[in-house]
Parts: sequence; C-alpha cells; structure tokens
Amino acid sequence: MAKVALENVVKTYGPVTAVGDVSFTVQDGEFVALVGPSGCGKTTTLNLIAGLIPMSGGNIRIGDKLVNDLDPKDRDIAMVFQNYALYPNKTVAKNLAFPLQMRRLSKDEILRKVTETARVLDITHLLERKPRELSGGQQQRVALGRALVRDPRAFLMDEPLSNLDAKLRVQMRTELKRFHQDLKATIIYVTHDQLEAVTMADKMAVMNGGTLQQYDSPKNVFDHPVNTFVASFVGSPAMSLVPLRRVVDGDTVALAGNGWQMPLSPANARKALGAKSDKLILGARHSTIALHDTPHAGTVPGRVYTVEPTGDVTFVQVHVDGAIVIASLAPDVPVRSDTNVWLGFDQTRMHLFDGETQMALTQT
Amino acid sequence: MSGRVDGWRWAGRVFLVLILLFTAVPMVWMLLTSIKSQFAAMQYPPQWWPKEPTLQNYTKLLDPTNPVGNDFLRYMWNSFYVSLATTVLGVAVAVPAAYAFSRFRFPGRTFLFFAVLLRNMFPAVVFLMPLFILMRWLGLVGTHGSLILTYLTFGLPLSIWLLKGFYDNIPIQLEQAARIDGATRFQAFLLIVMPLSVPGILATSIFSFIGAWNEYVYAATFLNRQDQLTLPVGIQRFFAEFATDWPGLMAATFLMSVPVVVLFLVLQRYFVRALTEGAVKS
Ligand SMILES: Nc1ncnc2c1ncn2[C@@H]1O[C@H](COP(=O)(O)OP(=O)(O)OP(=O)(O)O)[C@@H](O)[C@H]1O
Ligand SMILES: [Mg+2]
Repeated sequence: MAKVALENVVKTYGPVTAVGDVSFTVQDGEFVALVGPSGCGKTTTLNLIAGLIPMSGGNIRIGDKLVNDLDPKDRDIAMVFQNYALYPNKTVAKNLAFPLQMRRLSKDEILRKVTETARVLDITHLLERKPRELSGGQQQRVALGRALVRDPRAFLMDEPLSNLDAKLRVQMRTELKRFHQDLKATIIYVTHDQLEAVTMADKMAVMNGGTLQQYDSPKNVFDHPVNTFVASFVGSPAMSLVPLRRVVDGDTVALAGNGWQMPLSPANARKALGAKSDKLILGARHSTIALHDTPHAGTVPGRVYTVEPTGDVTFVQVHVDGAIVIASLAPDVPVRSDTNVWLGFDQTRMHLFDGETQMALTQT
Repeated sequence: MSGRVDGWRWAGRVFLVLILLFTAVPMVWMLLTSIKSQFAAMQYPPQWWPKEPTLQNYTKLLDPTNPVGNDFLRYMWNSFYVSLATTVLGVAVAVPAAYAFSRFRFPGRTFLFFAVLLRNMFPAVVFLMPLFILMRWLGLVGTHGSLILTYLTFGLPLSIWLLKGFYDNIPIQLEQAARIDGATRFQAFLLIVMPLSVPGILATSIFSFIGAWNEYVYAATFLNRQDQLTLPVGIQRFFAEFATDWPGLMAATFLMSVPVVVLFLVLQRYFVRALTEGAVKS
C-alpha cells in the first residue's frame, strides 16, 4: 500500500469546473471518506487519481512517485465504480479473474484468490452467472470483489455499498473495516451515508462545488466544522444555524435576535469579536440545546413548529427568529406544536460563524 | 370510446394485410413460376398452381457443366467476391473510425462526422459520372476494384454511423474498469469493447453486404466484360439472350435473394441481442 497525495488538482470541462484546486494527502494505510452533495466532484476526483481522465492542473503522487502522466494500469490502483461497470459478457468468476489475468498471475493463484474473495463477499453461489442475472446488490458485491481480489497500492471506492439493503450494508461495512485493518489498505471511499463515513474512516474529506471544504478526522469535522456548509452537511439531523446580530456593550458581548439578547461566555465573546461585521451565525447541534417551558436567564424564545418522535429521541423543530432550530428531547417529555418554548444553548459546545464569510470563528 | 379504438385497430390490421399482400404476392408468384415448365409459365389463363412442378430450372442454374449454369455461378461468385471484399474492408475501416467518433473529442469531430454523413444526402446516381471519370483516371474501369471502391464510399458512412451508435451504448466505464484492471487502452478495446460490439459489427456487415449484393447501376456502368458481371447485371443480360425463359429468370432471381433473406434473418436476431444486452446500472 502507499500514500496518495493531491496537490492543487484542477479539472475543468470547458466552462465547468468539476474539481477546483483540491489538495489533500491520504497517508499509507489510511481510510478516507470523501463526502459531499451530488455533483460536487467526488467521482471526478477518483477518476483523476486513477488516471482515467487527464488533469487540467496540479500534481498527484502515489507513494513518492509523481503519476501525472502515468496510465491507469501503471498506477496500480483498484477501483469500485459507482455504476459497477461489470463486464457484461463475462461470468462473475471471470469478472473477478480479469484483473489478475491482466497482471499475469498463475492459474492456481487466480483460482485461489477468486474463491477466497467470493467467500468473503458471499457470492460463491453466483460465480457462474452473468452480471445481468444478478440483483443490484449482488452486482455491487461483485464490483467490490473485483477490487478486493487485487493487491493494489490504493483502493478507490465510489459508493460501493449504496445499493445494498440495510442489514447487508451494516455487514459489509464491518467486513470492509476488517479488511482495511488487516491489510493496512489505503482507501479513498465516496459515500452519501454519513454513518459509513463516521464509523469506518480515519479522515473525512468534505467537498462542495468542486472544492475541498475540510479534511480532518470525523470527530473534528463533526465537532469543529470550518464553515457553515460543513456544519449543515455533516451530522443527522444537521446542525441548526441561526443568523443573528452581535451587540457589544462595554465588556459584555451578546447575540441579539428580535427582542431578545443572549450574553456570550468570555470564550465565545472573544470568538464573536473576531467577526468581520456584526452579522453572526449561531450553530448548535440538537443534543446541546435544552428546551424549557418558562424563560430562564440566557434562554432564547421560540415557537414549536413540529414534533417528530423517532423512538429513541423526539426531535422538536422550533422557530427562532425566522430560522428553524432542531432540539431533541427524551421521548416521554410532552411538547405540543405552536406552543412557546425557551431554548438554552450550551455555550461550551455551540458554534459561531462569521455571517459574511460563513467561516467558523475560532479563538485567536 | 372503445368501439372507436377497435375501429382503428381493425383499420390498422386491414392496412397491414394489404401491405403484406403487396410485398408477398410477387414473391410467391416468382417462386411458383420458377417451378413451372417453360410451356406452363406462358399459358393463358395462367396455371395458378403448377400442375407438374419441376426443379429443373434450379438444377440447370446450379450445374457448372451447363453453359447457362456456368455463367450463373460465375456471376454469383463475382457478386459474392465483390460484396465480401466491400464488407471486410468497410468494417476494417468503420470499426476504428466509429470508435474514435464515439470516444474521443478532437478538433473538427462534429464537422468530420457530418461530412461523412453528407454523402448519404444525395442519391447514388448523382455520383455516377464523377466516379466513372475518377475510376478511369485511376485505371480501374472494368475491374471489380472499381465496384469495391464505389460501394465502400456508399457503405462506409452508414457503417460508421451505425457502429458509432453501438459504441455510444457501451458505457465508457467498462473500458475504464479494464484499464484500471491492468489493460492498455488497446487491450481494453480488444478484450472488453470488441466482444460487446460483435452484434453491432455483424449487423453493420450484413447491411453493407446486402447493399453491395443488390447494387445495379454502378455494376452495369463500370463493368463490361461478360465474365466479370455481378448477379443483378448478369441476370438481366443473361436473360435478354434467352428472353422467353421466364421460369429460368424466376429461379435465378430466387437464388439471388436467398442470401439476402438469410442474412436479414440473422440480422434480426443480432439486433434483438444487441438491444437486450444489459451492461450497467441505469
Ligand atoms: N464529462 C463531463 N463533461 C462535463 N461535465 C462533467 C463531466 N463529468 C462530470 N462533469 C461535471 O462535473 C461535476 C462533478 O461531477 P461528479 O461526477 O464528479 O460528481 P459526484 O460528486 O460524483 O456526484 P454524485 O454524488 O451524483 O455521483 C458535475 O457538475 C458534472 O456535471
Ligand atoms: Mg459520483
């Protein structure tokens, strides 16, 4: 296995910038989850690393080698395609064997590896079938198998579990994690499923509009989102964001909404003073918000919009100053829509963003 | 409401039956005539069903020792040779051309593609004189080469266009997967794309073969030596000499249409296969 490094990588299609100036390094043996909304350039990034499309600019290194001009076959990378790309005229066994044949392994070794991979993925009974005779989930496992059968320098996986049912997905997630640990494999993994990213990945790369927003451990991305996009993209339900005003009165700094003020703790006050203007955005995850039915010092008035019981917790959407804030309650606490509530934000765990730049405000 | 729908359906059926009769009756008549004797064929009122069916017209045509059969078989061989050469050369050029049009973005790609199709906007006869002059200049008049070259210029645009459609339908991810799996670009084409495009190549070949097999105007213009003639021209000249031999003419025509019909049947099968071949998640 090897590390993979992107340096200022750019890919444009005429006027469209699919990937704009992306840099990150995946260390040897690291599992990186690449997340972002549809069309943000995830597949394009993988294709660039694999060498399937030419770069418009930048450098890519695999190991310590600059691979900019290297053919896909010489980059020695395995890839699981978003649409599987199984060879339709070959049986499952031949699909799995193809990469090994191309690398001139002996017949015995090919048979051994194909059998072993098929066993792990539970597709042994499908080996003699053609791809079109398989269900979507089975095809996806074969696609995964065609990558796992090899021993490449890095794995690129484009939503490899997206089409599996919930149970199988959890099972495959465990298998993949095990596989990653056992082989110390370098894996770049595109997913829409945040749980997958959080449970499996060492690092998360969050992309939006072709640029990398944040590249850090899932915990840091979750706890310290660098901007409002990452804050609202990562986590389920998403972090609530409320645009407010900064009010400075002597030593005290407060957040002000329509007819209320919330004095900030000294730490938060210092962050707030770092903003370019008086426009601030308050960010808070549901678990850090307390709901009260009477006003207390420092609480913020709101009106309950909807109540969504999910079993374990009940999510309560509250209108605060025109924005929606999601808080959570234990399922046995009674709340009703269209009642007034007061929200208490945990100042040690809340986030402040600059209303102009959308960037997180940090203590300086 | 449903009565009106039924009415339309019935009208459609009647129309289809009429079309079917219109195309089938002459063929049936051709077949029936070909197994009559010369005398029975000329009778009036006609024998609707031959009273004494005979295969003698066919045995004569297929007998190399018979002068008539000898000529016929030679024409057939000429036609076969010209059509096959047209097909093989055409496919050899059309496959890489269509693949390039389908997969690569190069300057002038759209212009070139439409330039290729431009030829098909004019009826073939328009090019008769220019091509004849060109062939004379190349010293090819009176050779099969002139026909092969001409048929290529007609067949290639269509072949390229047809094949491009087939390649467009083969997802590019298959080649990408192959290249990641360790294939060169050419190996990806040869090992993955080629097997998938076999139905397309066969369909295209058959089209181009039938086109060459049936062509008359150029064959009549470019060839003059008796022993070089292709079937469509040969049959006509042949029976101008023996003008009265209707059953013989019908038998010859039938024999000429056999390969076309067989190829069409094959073609149909491959078209269906080509369309049902599932490749990737859609
Ligand atoms: N061949 C192409 N020509 C033009 N634009 C392209 C091409 N391929 C991708 N794009 C554009 O580049 C952007 C990124 O596409 P990409 O496929 O990488 O998105 P993605 O993040 O993988 O999305 P998804 O989650 O839907 O798979 C999109 O806006 C897309 O329209
Ligand atoms: Mg994608």
